[in-house]
Amino acid sequence: MLQGLYHPKTVDEATALLAQDPEAKPMAGGASLVAMLNARVIEPAALVSLASIDEIKGISVLPDGRIRIGAFTRHRETAECALPLGAAAAVRQAASLIANATVRNMGTIGGAIAFADPGLDYPPALVAAGAEVEIASPSARRIVPAREFFVDWYLTALEPGELVVAVLLPRPSEKAHGVYIKHARVAGDYATASVAACRLGDGSVSVAVGACGPTPIVDDAANALLGTDRSAAAIAEAGALLEQLADPLDDVRGSADYRRQLIPRLLLRAIRTLEAAEGGKP
Amino acid sequence: MMSANRQITLMVNGSASEAPAALHDTLLTVLRDQLQLTAAKRGCNQGVCGACTVVVDDRTVRACLSLAQNCEHASISTLEGLIEQVPMQALQRAFAKNGAFQCGFCTPGMLISAYALLKHNPEPDTSAVRKALSGNLCRCTGYTKIVTAVQEAAAALRAEVVTP
Repeated sequence: MLQGLYHPKTVDEATALLAQDPEAKPMAGGASLVAMLNARVIEPAALVSLASIDEIKGISVLPDGRIRIGAFTRHRETAECALPLGAAAAVRQAASLIANATVRNMGTIGGAIAFADPGLDYPPALVAAGAEVEIASPSARRIVPAREFFVDWYLTALEPGELVVAVLLPRPSEKAHGVYIKHARVAGDYATASVAACRLGDGSVSVAVGACGPTPIVDDAANALLGTDRSAAAIAEAGALLEQLADPLDDVRGSADYRRQLIPRLLLRAIRTLEAAEGGKP
Repeated sequence: MMSANRQITLMVNGSASEAPAALHDTLLTVLRDQLQLTAAKRGCNQGVCGACTVVVDDRTVRACLSLAQNCEHASISTLEGLIEQVPMQALQRAFAKNGAFQCGFCTPGMLISAYALLKHNPEPDTSAVRKALSGNLCRCTGYTKIVTAVQEAAAALRAEVVTP
């Protein structure tokens, strides 16, 4: 059994440590994990800090043009990323709306998505933008589409002992663009509901709804409809399709019914904002 | 506590301080309970209220969400270590002049967030100030006087820069 705080220097060292002791917890920025320690929700005897692993820090462009955001990249860095991101501009916008400047200095993209709180800003943006998640185990690496990564309430495709290594954003194209619209009670709160809307490189439209069920809501029929018709009537119809798939919580941030009503309204705003962003391009 | 205490060395306000820290002890706990640096306040202990905001390696962080053992090679500044700085003194004067506090519990965190803002934005408009302080809750003032104070401090600092 491990005890205390570990600082592995590589992903392999980290996964080897986690394989030794299933009770040990990996720790990224700590923004969620330390809050849980403080609340005594978890009391692990060992923590494996990922802060010394250079391979999972920062944003880079891969040889094939995809953009790789290392798991230990703070929200601030993602929010300030100066690269053209195409559809994944929605991911950058989501990062800029997380909590507040101080928390964005601490939290990381890998820690956030591994925690998979349904109210987070990243999941709908990653799903709509067609991002992928790179995962490491002691024996292998694998890549899972964001749409399959989020499985259920606070549950992801990660198997015990696996770590998120990076988020991979599709190669940005001239045509692609993305927006993220968040509705929250006050600035910096978790979303009551949110919508990410992207025009992908192949010209199709991809939308995902956040905070209205265990995982981001996606509907292929709604996407197909929005790809050909962006009239108010078509957006209302697509909104109704997404609303049918919603399974929102009734909580302090809004009743389930209120959240359902937000979906078509936020979708309309997201699509119109996307059009404006596209229109603004040379 | 299941994990043993470990003696750690923290660089706080420019000098090295030793303190015992258990695995789950936060930077806030060590600052307040071991090093008697009590400007950073324990409000929610969940990273929401901002009363514990300190500077680590030139970035504001929540001391309550930072594990003390993880801060060992970092440079930490608390309000106690920043009060000699000209921008901090301008902020303190402007807060006092405007009555930008009532109970004062949020004030150290407000000052540190405002200090961080003025470092990279010497002329913040109201919206920039409100955004920069959006992670600091105040349950007394309604924020208006705090925003005014930060803008007044910024103006005073700009005037100092241009007047020899």
